[in-house]
Amino acid sequence: MANENLVKDVVREKEPYKYGFVTDIETEKIAKGLNEDIVKLISKKKGEPNFLLNFRLKAFKKWQKMKEPNWAEIGYQKIDYQDIIYYSAPKQKEKLSSLDEVDPKLLETFDKLGIPLTEQKKLTNVAVDAVFDSVSIATTFREELAEHGVIFCSISEAVKNHPDLIEKYLGTVVPASDNYFAALNSAVFSDGSFVYIPKGVTCPMDLSSYFRINSGDSGQFERTLIIAEESSSVSYLEGCTAPMFDTNTLHAAVVELIALDDASIKYSTVQNWYAGNEKGVGGIFNFVTKRGKCLGKRSKISWSQVETGSAITWKYPSCLLLGEESVGEFYSVALTNNLQQADTGTKMIHIGPKTKSTIVSKGISAGNSINSYRGLVKMGTKAAGSRNYSQCDSMLIGDQASANTFPYIKSQQPNSEIEHEASTCRISEDQLFYLQSRGIEFEEAISMMVSGFCRDVFNQLPMEFAAEADKLLSLKLEGSVG
Amino acid sequence: MEIIEKITTNKLVENQTEIQKICLHKLQSSPLPNPKSELWRLSNKSKFSNLLDYSINEKDLKLDTPYPKNSQSTIRLIIGENYQIKLIEENYSIQQLSEDELDKFMKEQISFFDQNENWSDLLNLSISCKKNILGLKINGSKIPPIEIFSHSSTNSFNAKTLVIFLEKNCNIELLQVNLGKENSSLSQSTFFFLEENSSLKHGVVSYGESGSNLLNSLNIIQQKNSEYKLGSLHFKFNYARFEINIKQSEGSAKTKIKGMQITKKDEQIATYTKIDFNGPNGFLDQINKSLADDKSHAIFEGSIIVPKIAQKTDASQLSRNLLLSSLAQIDTKPQLEIIADDVKCKHGATISQLNEEELFYMRTRGITLAEASKLQLSSYFQEIISFIPVSKDRWDLLDKLLNEN
Repeated sequence: MANENLVKDVVREKEPYKYGFVTDIETEKIAKGLNEDIVKLISKKKGEPNFLLNFRLKAFKKWQKMKEPNWAEIGYQKIDYQDIIYYSAPKQKEKLSSLDEVDPKLLETFDKLGIPLTEQKKLTNVAVDAVFDSVSIATTFREELAEHGVIFCSISEAVKNHPDLIEKYLGTVVPASDNYFAALNSAVFSDGSFVYIPKGVTCPMDLSSYFRINSGDSGQFERTLIIAEESSSVSYLEGCTAPMFDTNTLHAAVVELIALDDASIKYSTVQNWYAGNEKGVGGIFNFVTKRGKCLGKRSKISWSQVETGSAITWKYPSCLLLGEESVGEFYSVALTNNLQQADTGTKMIHIGPKTKSTIVSKGISAGNSINSYRGLVKMGTKAAGSRNYSQCDSMLIGDQASANTFPYIKSQQPNSEIEHEASTCRISEDQLFYLQSRGIEFEEAISMMVSGFCRDVFNQLPMEFAAEADKLLSLKLEGSVG
Repeated sequence: MEIIEKITTNKLVENQTEIQKICLHKLQSSPLPNPKSELWRLSNKSKFSNLLDYSINEKDLKLDTPYPKNSQSTIRLIIGENYQIKLIEENYSIQQLSEDELDKFMKEQISFFDQNENWSDLLNLSISCKKNILGLKINGSKIPPIEIFSHSSTNSFNAKTLVIFLEKNCNIELLQVNLGKENSSLSQSTFFFLEENSSLKHGVVSYGESGSNLLNSLNIIQQKNSEYKLGSLHFKFNYARFEINIKQSEGSAKTKIKGMQITKKDEQIATYTKIDFNGPNGFLDQINKSLADDKSHAIFEGSIIVPKIAQKTDASQLSRNLLLSSLAQIDTKPQLEIIADDVKCKHGATISQLNEEELFYMRTRGITLAEASKLQLSSYFQEIISFIPVSKDRWDLLDKLLNEN
C-alpha cells in the first residue's frame, strides 16, 4: 500500500529543531559537583535568608539518603550528579532597574525564540518572566500588574521582597522529601517564578514564564510557586526550549500551586525542550514535580500540557483536592518521536467531600518512542459525593512505537464515582483515503487528524498557546507520519 | 511462616521428585515474592503470612462436599484421590498423562517462570506430590461436562495441581471447584494447553469458609484458532489470590473472561490477569467485577500486552466495582502495553455504589430497600454467573451469594 511506504519514511523530522542554537554569552558558573558547600554557595550567591538555607540543607540531607526511582517505563544512562554544574548565570550587574540594562544578547536570544521582551516589541496582554539557565533575566508588565496588587517576579526577588510569603508556602505542596528529584530541586533550585494574586483579584493578563537552558553542562532546577488568594483567578503559561547538545542535560523542576476559597489557577505548559537527535543522542532529561493544592472551598486547579520535547519526560502534574467542592483538571497531549521516552500522567487525590476531577490524556507515539500514561485517582474516606472521569487515548504511528496505559484507581469511599476509559488506535486508512481523495495532501491529512485527536486538550489551552501547540505538533510529525 | 522456614532449611517435603527439586531450588534463592513488586504490593502482609503458617498435609480427609450430588451426565474428579483414568468412548477419550509427558511439559513451563509472577506456581509445584497432580489428555467431541474438585483440610496447607491437554478440535465444558475449609490454606495451580481449533468453556468457583486462604493460579496456552472462555467466582476467603496468565502463543485465538470477586468482613481477594498476545489477530473480551463490603479489600490488576507481532489484535478489558461500605477499599488497575500499531485496544474502569435512583424507583413501587438492593445485586451477579459453565443449571450460586448478603 502506498501509505505503508510513507509510514516507513516516518521517523525523520524534516525540519530540525529550530530552537537549537546556543547564545554565546559570558556566564558565571560554579564548579561541578554537589555537596553541602555547593548548596551553601548557591544560597550565599542569592543572598538568601537563613530559613531558606536550612530548607535547602535539610532537603540535601534527605536527597542523599534517597534512591533514584526506577518504576517508570523509561530507560536512560545513569546520571552522574557530580558531573553537573548546579549554578550558571549570565554575567550581569547585580540589580537591573530596567530592561535597558539587560545584555542585548539575551534580549536577542528571547527575540529569536519568539518571546520579545523589549518595551516596543513585548507581547501585548501577556506578562513574561524570562529565565535563562539558572536566573530570571527580566519580567515584563510588572508595574501594570502591581497596580492590581499582583506580584509576578522571579522567586529570588520574592525571597528578598516577600520572605514571609515564601516561608509560609514554599514546600507546603511538594515537601522536600516528596521524591528524589523534588529533594534535589529543593536543595539546589536557582530561580523560577513567583506569583501572588491577592483576594478578589482576577489577574488582568496572562502570566507567562519562558525557560531557556543555554549551557550544556549545567542542570536547570527552577521552582515556581503560585498562590491564589480567596476569589482570585489567574492563567499561567510556561514554555521551554534548549540548544542542541550531544550530551544530556538534567532539568528537575518543582511547581507548587495553592488555591484558596473560590480561587482558580490555570497552568498551561508547552514543553519543547531539545529531544535529542534521531539516534537518541543528546536531549533533555525532564524530571518534573508539579502539584497543586486546592485548599479552599470551591477552588479549582487546571493543568493543561503539550509535551513534545525532551529525551525523557517524567512528569505527573497532580491535584490535592482538600477543599469542599474543589475541582481538579488535567488535559494533556504528549507526543513522542524517534527515541523519545515519556512517562507522564496525573494524580487526583480526592480528600474533601464533593470534589470533582477530570482527566483527558492524549498520547501520540511515533518512531521508536515509548509513551506511557500513568495516573492515580484516589478517593479518600472523607471524599463523599466526589466524582472522577478519566479518558486516556493513545495513537500509534508506525509499528515500532509503544503506547502504555497504567491507571491506578483506589477508592475508600462508597459514595463516590470513578470512571476511567482508555483506547488505542492508529490513524485510520479510511479517513486518510477520504481526505486524500478530496485533494488534501497526505501530510496535511495526518496533521489534521492528529489535531482533531488532540482537540479536547487544545480547547483548554489559551488561544495563542493552542495555535502554537497545533503548529508544534505538525512540525514534530512532519515527514514522520504514516 | 512455617512453610518458608522449611523451604530455606530444605525440610519442606521428603522424597522430592525432580520437579519439586527444581522448584524448591528456585524458591530457596528468594523464598518470598518481592513485596514492592506490582503483583504483591497491595497484598495484606499479616494475612499472607497466616496463609503460610499451616503445616503441609498430603493426607486429605474425604471431601465432604456441600455441592449437589454427582449426576450421571457429568464426569466428576477429585484431585488427590487416586485415580486411574482411562475413558475411551466412541466420540472422545480422556486419559491420564504419562509421567514423562507431565515432566516434560512442567519442566518447559518452569523454565519460563518468573520469581514474582509465578511464585504461587513455584510454591505449588514444590509441595504438590504425585498424588495431588492430576494430568489429563482429552480429545474428541460430545464430551460430557467435567467437574474437578480441589479442597483443603482444616488446619493444614494443601497443594493441588491440574494439567490438561486439549487436543486438536476438542471441545469441552469444565468446572473447577476450589473448596477452602475452615482455617486452612489451599494452593491450586492449573495448566491448560489448548491445541489448534480446540475450545474450552471453563468455570472456576472458589468458595471458602471462615479463616480459609487460597492461592489459585491459572496458566493457559492457546494455539491458533482455539477458544477459551472463563467464568470465575471467588468468595468467602480470608485471603485469596487468583492469578490468570494467558498466552495466545501464535495469535488468532479467542479469549473471553468474566470474573467476579466478593469480599466481606475483613477479607482480601485479589485478581491478577496477564494476557499476552504473541501473534496477530488475537481477540480478548474481559470483564472483572468486584464487590467490597464491611472492612474488606478487593483488588484487580489486569495487564494486556500487545507486542509488535500482534497486529490486528482486538482487546477490551473492563473493571466494574461496587463499593458498599465506607470502611471497605477497592484498588483497580487495568493496563495496556502496546507496540503493534494496527490494533484496537480499550479498557475501562468504574467504581461506584448501588444506583440510588433505581433503588428509589423500586421503593416507590413497594419494594423494601433490602429487597431492592438484592434485586440490583442479582442483576450485577447474574452476568458473571450465567457465564460459568456446568454449574448454572444445577447449582444455585446466585441464591448462595444473595442469601449471604
